Amino acid sequence: MTLKTVLGRRGLERLDLLLLVVESLDLNGGEAMLWTTQQLGLQEQFPNRVELWKRRCHNPLRRATRRGELSAFDAEAMLRLLCSMASRLYPLLHQLLSSREPEELNLQRWALLDQRLRDLIEERMNPRRGAVQRLLQQEQSQPIQRELVFSLALAAGDGGIDRLRASLLDPTP
Amino acid sequence: MLNLSFRYDQTAVRLQVEGLPDFSAGHGDGILGIISGWRLQLVASPELEGKREHLQALMATVLPYARHRISGVKRAFGDTASAVVISPDGDKHQLLLRSSQPNIPPLTLHLDHAELADLVRCLDALRLDPRVQVPWELPIDHPLPRKELAERVPLSQRFGAPFIGGTALALIAGLSLLLPVPRSSEGTLPPANSTTPEQTQSSSNR
Repeated sequence: MTLKTVLGRRGLERLDLLLLVVESLDLNGGEAMLWTTQQLGLQEQFPNRVELWKRRCHNPLRRATRRGELSAFDAEAMLRLLCSMASRLYPLLHQLLSSREPEELNLQRWALLDQRLRDLIEERMNPRRGAVQRLLQQEQSQPIQRELVFSLALAAGDGGIDRLRASLLDPTP
Repeated sequence: MLNLSFRYDQTAVRLQVEGLPDFSAGHGDGILGIISGWRLQLVASPELEGKREHLQALMATVLPYARHRISGVKRAFGDTASAVVISPDGDKHQLLLRSSQPNIPPLTLHLDHAELADLVRCLDALRLDPRVQVPWELPIDHPLPRKELAERVPLSQRFGAPFIGGTALALIAGLSLLLPVPRSSEGTLPPANSTTPEQTQSSSNR
């Protein structure tokens, strides 16, 4: 199954946000994404960082947002990239989500993720948007970050891509 | 007879499936077509085992639950008659397993997010394994209906805006009723003591 329909606004926001979480988890995330696109045979679509960035700028929450729709072909490529990154980072996601990890250590891990994600959001997203403000507010951001990390964990592995694709195509409630 | 065994490992979960090729379906030697048994080991939980029906029930419950969770929908799957029930339990997930044998009480397991993700990955690996040719009859991952997604939004948030809008409308309508109706010069009634032309005519006839 592949993406045949164009992602809606919410789907685009979520896809880019999940990629942002991947970048927060992996300090060298930008390079890792480019390397993964080559591994997946997507170098024609994403030959360099700029092309990937241009596709991600379809997210309406970005500071420098692009008009128009992201094609289904590009959205599918980004989805494959995201799920591949999630599989690669799965041990890290597992550590964050596990209740069997030492509590103090896990709190430090979450604090580190929170700081990196906050920095990336402030750098790239439009702070006047309500959704961006929610991501930056301490009380509201924590459960959202937890859900995002859990979503990435469920998107990892063999069947993760179908699950995530279906969720990105969910209608707006 | 050629007995096959495949194992799927994650950090907190190990799933082992045993069975035989289904030669009647044209399977080769290395293809598992008939499941004779399975074992599931979860960290700090008793080992589970069962027949193919139980594994099917586990997959048919856990995978749709994961599909809904990735969309942020927290709802239980399975009912009082189901062999497997999974439901959200605070920050964890409660997995209830009923034995098909009599006088055995149901087993309840509490999984954290990491353990659930491990279990889902193992089940995904099994159902998508090309060496296992078993018709699982599982629902395909589709976008959720709007109604189910609406339920994840709290009631206050869902009905807050319409309630405020309706109240404001009623308030404005009520206040507008209190305003006096403006009198127009053409539309006013003549005073009660004024004489009409007919009255004047009749008085002159007298």
